[in-house]
Amino acid sequence: MELRIGWLYPTLMSTYGDRGNVICLQQRCQWREITATVVPLDRQAEADLFKNVDIIVGGGAQDRQQEIVMRDLQGAKAENFRQRIEAGIPGVFTCGSPQLLGKYYEPALGQRIEGLGLLDLETKHPGINASRCIGNVVFELTASPLAEELREMLGKTPIALGFENHGGRTYLGNVSPLGKVIKGYGNNGEDGWEGAFYRHAIATYSHGPLLPKNPFLADWLIQTALKEKYQTPISLTKLDDSLALQARQAMFNRLELSSLVKNP
Amino acid sequence: MQILDRLRLGLAVATAKLVTAIVKGLKLGAASVLPGEISRRLHPRLLPLLFEQVNKGVILIVGTNGKTTTSLLLRTILENQEQKVTHNATGANLINGLITALLADTNLIGRLTTDYAILEVDENVLPLVLKDCTPQYILGLNLFRDQLDRYGEVDTISYRWQQAINPLPQESKIILNADDPTLAYLGQNLSQNVVYFGLNEPELYLETIPHAVDSIYCPSCGHLLDYKGVYLSHLGDYTCPSCDFSKPKLMLNSSDWGQILIGVYNKYNTLAAGVLSLEIGVKQAAINETIRSFKAAFGRAEELTVQGKHIRILLSKNPVGMNETIRAVNTLKKQGKSSTSLILLNDRTPDGTDVSWIWDVDTETLVKSGGTIIVSGDRTYDMALRLKYSQDSLGDAGSPVNLVIEENLSKALQTALDGTPSHETLHILPTYSAMLEVRKLLTGRQIL
Repeated sequence: MELRIGWLYPTLMSTYGDRGNVICLQQRCQWREITATVVPLDRQAEADLFKNVDIIVGGGAQDRQQEIVMRDLQGAKAENFRQRIEAGIPGVFTCGSPQLLGKYYEPALGQRIEGLGLLDLETKHPGINASRCIGNVVFELTASPLAEELREMLGKTPIALGFENHGGRTYLGNVSPLGKVIKGYGNNGEDGWEGAFYRHAIATYSHGPLLPKNPFLADWLIQTALKEKYQTPISLTKLDDSLALQARQAMFNRLELSSLVKNP
Repeated sequence: MQILDRLRLGLAVATAKLVTAIVKGLKLGAASVLPGEISRRLHPRLLPLLFEQVNKGVILIVGTNGKTTTSLLLRTILENQEQKVTHNATGANLINGLITALLADTNLIGRLTTDYAILEVDENVLPLVLKDCTPQYILGLNLFRDQLDRYGEVDTISYRWQQAINPLPQESKIILNADDPTLAYLGQNLSQNVVYFGLNEPELYLETIPHAVDSIYCPSCGHLLDYKGVYLSHLGDYTCPSCDFSKPKLMLNSSDWGQILIGVYNKYNTLAAGVLSLEIGVKQAAINETIRSFKAAFGRAEELTVQGKHIRILLSKNPVGMNETIRAVNTLKKQGKSSTSLILLNDRTPDGTDVSWIWDVDTETLVKSGGTIIVSGDRTYDMALRLKYSQDSLGDAGSPVNLVIEENLSKALQTALDGTPSHETLHILPTYSAMLEVRKLLTGRQIL
């Protein structure tokens, strides 16, 4: 079996260790002897490359870099990207990249950046002197059918753990939130929702990076990608995730989330 | 200074000195921040009143990496010229730390007698300091991503610097690293006289551009920059193929210069202090003399011997810094001079509370070069997980490296010392607060 992991603009959009998500997916494939190739979807990349990737990963960018990305992600590239997401290939978009999938982003300095409009969400930065939403974040995954599938995989309520650090505040329109905040700010620090979920695309402010400490999400992405590609349900061999569990336990303990400490 | 101001200044200074005496007397800490905080409450204009009294000039040093080492070298060069220097030597680089350093050289009635004040200033605090101070020199070392949880992004910082520096008088001299495109662009947008240092030694180019790179796009037009070669992170020889932006002309030939300590990053620190000293009027021969005899600041390539084992501490607090320390350690590993490393990851305020940066570090190269890696710190398991994902196979059997996970710092340190053969060097790679902790354990006392 083989998977091609498309990485959106690795040189422009990789501000907060987002590369960890790519490393995590690739290693968890290779440890299971599934060949995983990373395909950089950079400015030099041909639009056709988007057509044969099986998973798409996107990270965060600084405002200026995000502008450069949006100028490049137009025409055939944008269209192919949109088609892949609509066709149901899984994706994980952290920090800045959800803004780019949304309708627009208004940065602290400079012009409004138009997004792809794939997700019905808007993001505004309240100004250069406004405080950023920073800290460890914990949320329950509630989006359907993701939450049900994860519950079946794990045999318990799926809880994600990460770190958020964003100036922009995101407001959802007609799109399902990814989860419900237990600790932290989430999309805007007001409505209690975190991220968004559309088709098989996960959008979230939570980095840390997201996947290494939530390995069930990485496995869900791999499993979904294989199922979409080979059109048959595939079950993955279990991996030893004791280190990730210890890392989760240590953080739950610090955040005084006692029920999660017992069952990280 | 008016008489009332003088009295109030005296009161603030006397109080601060009392606090310092108490804190140090009771061994509560290094007293590098608290006296500043208290005295500033007693006199809000304390900082400008202190700055005014510096005899020959205030030198501000800013940048993500290298502030402490560069300051220390510059201080040593000037002191060897019989100059009296005030310096915030504990790396306390927020406003209260600056005040505390200046107060230490102030007498009881608030009179400060010093020739130069060398002040390491936190990236985000520079605009605030410039409201109170007209420096003779500002030295800009580099801008990397570091503690983004506190500061936001490289571009925002550079923009704020530009806004803060431009109103200064024309006499203020700005010395910048030409190899950093963000700083070169800043220099172009300043009205003051700008002098550039940097490298022009292609033999020091890295083979590939590392992942942890911030600024390879033209800060002027946004086009991808054309690099002839990279010395470290995004520092290198570049031109923009689309507009007229390119690396500015250097005021010296870097191959004529030696360097302090180990690693390319310390060559930059050497050049930075060297250029500033030349600007002040120190003779090149005298500068070279100091470079040759220089000893490290605490935790920055500092060397110690404990329990008969040789130790080198390499502060590793952001992706660029850690990539460079790994580069240095791997070189020594290949020469058979080191096989054991101790990595300490903390996530307290001085470290930055976001540890995601460890995924931007190329830890794969450290794992590949083998030996033993011991992991500890507040975020032991996060670091262990990063190293686990740096291995080709999940099981321990096929791993080139022996990974030891120990939450307890004293135990981790003892394991590392025990595992280091006496003819080798143990390398400790700590974040800032972890460096203070481990140093305390090694020396049995606090810094300063």
